[in-house]
Amino acid sequence: MARTRSKGGATTTSKNSKETSSTPANSKSRYVLPEESSNPPRIFILPKKATKEARIVSLLNPRYAKPTRYLVCPETGVYELTQIAAPKTTPRSWLIQYGGGEDGEKAQEAKLGNNTEFSVHITKGADLFVATPIDPVFLLLPAFIPSTSTSSESKSEKQSRLFVSSDDHLDTIQQSSPHQWEILRWGKIRQLFESRMAAICETAQAGDETMFRFSEDKLLAELLAKAQRMSENPLPKSMEDKFVTKALEAPVLGIKRAAVLQTETSVEEKQTEETATVSAAAESGASTPKETNSTESQTSGNSTATAPTSASDAAPELAPTITASPEVIRLQRLRIAFQFLSSSYIAAGYAATLRQKLSSTSLVDFAPLDAYLARLAQLRQEAAAARSVGDYTRKRDFDDEEVAARAEKKRRHDEEEKRKKAGESRGVRDLKKVNTSGMKKMSDFFKKK
Amino acid sequence: MLEARLNQAQDLKKAVDAIKDLVQDCNFDCNDSGIALQAMDNSHVALVSMMMKAEMFSPYRCDRNIALGVNLVSFTKVLRAAQNEDVLTLKAEDAPDSLNLVFENSNDRISEYDLKLMDIDQEHLGIPETEYAATISMPSAEFKRICTDLMAMSESVTIEANKDGVKFACSGDIGNGSVTLRSNTNVEKPELSIDIELTEPVSLTFSLKYLVNFCKAQPLSSSVRICLSNEVPLLVEYGLAGSSYLRFYLAPKIGDEE
Repeated sequence: MARTRSKGGATTTSKNSKETSSTPANSKSRYVLPEESSNPPRIFILPKKATKEARIVSLLNPRYAKPTRYLVCPETGVYELTQIAAPKTTPRSWLIQYGGGEDGEKAQEAKLGNNTEFSVHITKGADLFVATPIDPVFLLLPAFIPSTSTSSESKSEKQSRLFVSSDDHLDTIQQSSPHQWEILRWGKIRQLFESRMAAICETAQAGDETMFRFSEDKLLAELLAKAQRMSENPLPKSMEDKFVTKALEAPVLGIKRAAVLQTETSVEEKQTEETATVSAAAESGASTPKETNSTESQTSGNSTATAPTSASDAAPELAPTITASPEVIRLQRLRIAFQFLSSSYIAAGYAATLRQKLSSTSLVDFAPLDAYLARLAQLRQEAAAARSVGDYTRKRDFDDEEVAARAEKKRRHDEEEKRKKAGESRGVRDLKKVNTSGMKKMSDFFKKK
Repeated sequence: MLEARLNQAQDLKKAVDAIKDLVQDCNFDCNDSGIALQAMDNSHVALVSMMMKAEMFSPYRCDRNIALGVNLVSFTKVLRAAQNEDVLTLKAEDAPDSLNLVFENSNDRISEYDLKLMDIDQEHLGIPETEYAATISMPSAEFKRICTDLMAMSESVTIEANKDGVKFACSGDIGNGSVTLRSNTNVEKPELSIDIELTEPVSLTFSLKYLVNFCKAQPLSSSVRICLSNEVPLLVEYGLAGSSYLRFYLAPKIGDEE
């Protein structure tokens, strides 16, 4: 499907070789490590259909209103780059070899780099960049949606309500999207952008020019269509587990135990997670596109894994009280997909407006899902209440650490008691049992010194 | 630096033995006038106060005020190693971690112990000199016998002193009983005489358990002095050599007599 090749490697390697050759060899060690390259090669997985003319450019990120790198191919469109990083706890590196011999193309490339010495390379991080197609609609959005951070807010606001040429619209984000004009001159890009602009705008013909006016309803419909397409099949496993299966799972009331404590706050959870992921990307600035930190996805994967197992303990003979109908599952998927799209590609402030719009729209009816969720919340509450009253299985909920801490505390307490007892004579112990009612304290008779 | 040499180890042994049944840990406060101790029991209804004046010891040296925080059970364990007639020497540094005890017997046997000390936060109560309405001196063995006898009947005893004598009375589930003593003077053995000094009649009730506990100091002295007044704690005093003493105070039971 995709072929792997390294970009930028050729230039860096040649530069690097000069550096190393100029440094005098250290006599103390036989092997001298070359100095770390300031611009090490990176590994990309690029789509096969992208032409050779494709370039990585900086465009405005629709969600974070910051210049971010995208791969733009004049023929096939725009691709977003996703960084896949190894978790910090398990550092990895790439061993990169150019011109393995059999692969003719690679060899050729190594030749181009004009350097056989650097046919093998080790990188510090094992980051992998994957380019996936992105709808240019999202890249156009900053031009229509007033973001609080841009100074031209009032201007864009006004413009978005008028029929204006596409150039005027794009002008508004010219400042923050440096390579935009450049790419618009490439091949079919302009045509593509304008056709996608039409998807979220009302259009009017003025002479031979098409004028555009932003339409929220069209954007919503467009997003919803995307979400619908996404939700036709089950979502990716981790998402499906966490936000669909678990969110809709009913507590098993038979053993008075809330199988899953995860409530419908999963939506907010998801958002926080999303922001967490992306804030990491924002830190690394414009240079790195959205980062999918695999540590995070791992941990969330773990947490999802534990709850279902605990629930399945009880599952065999006890069926949950209510089960979600396919219709409900489909709606939940749709909602999650929509939320995913809006939290990935749409500015935070505007995403909230869109969500509101979604709930009032007639395009899709979420009523069965809402009814189900309300019923579910009630059931969970009941289960939780029943559980807190007299649940002997509660002990199971303590994890090992807690149990250990308890045991330790008890042991220490016992020890202290024992020591105290050892330092206490029988007489003192006996006196504790004496009924001292009606006897005043000594300090009532004698004043403290 | 503390250095105190006691000719008879039993004086300290018996005192500590008696106190250890009332309190668990306490400070021995040493200064140039002697070694003092004041402590209350857990319920704070009884108080023990001991004063071992410097003249009890020969020699006695204490340059600075030192508080020796001692667990009395541990102290008893160490003191048990001393014979009654041994010469006992207490030694401690100015800021001591431990108390050094040396027991020497007449056969040149020398044993030496170090007792770990502890920090005890204790409040001291000021005990004023009191004129008691009734002061009874009697043989300590007699007092002990009365208390243990009555203890079999009841939890508490009413001590009533008037011009006829002093009456220890109790009543319990199985019945009631009383012991009445009249003042008498034994010329041959003055320690066996009973002397009652009375300014006004008093009648007070006390917990027998505590009194029996106080009686553990009986071996210290052949006679005991019991002082009573309304509305103040009972004082039971065992005299030690010279003007040193071991005193117990106990709050009277007021109100519910069951």
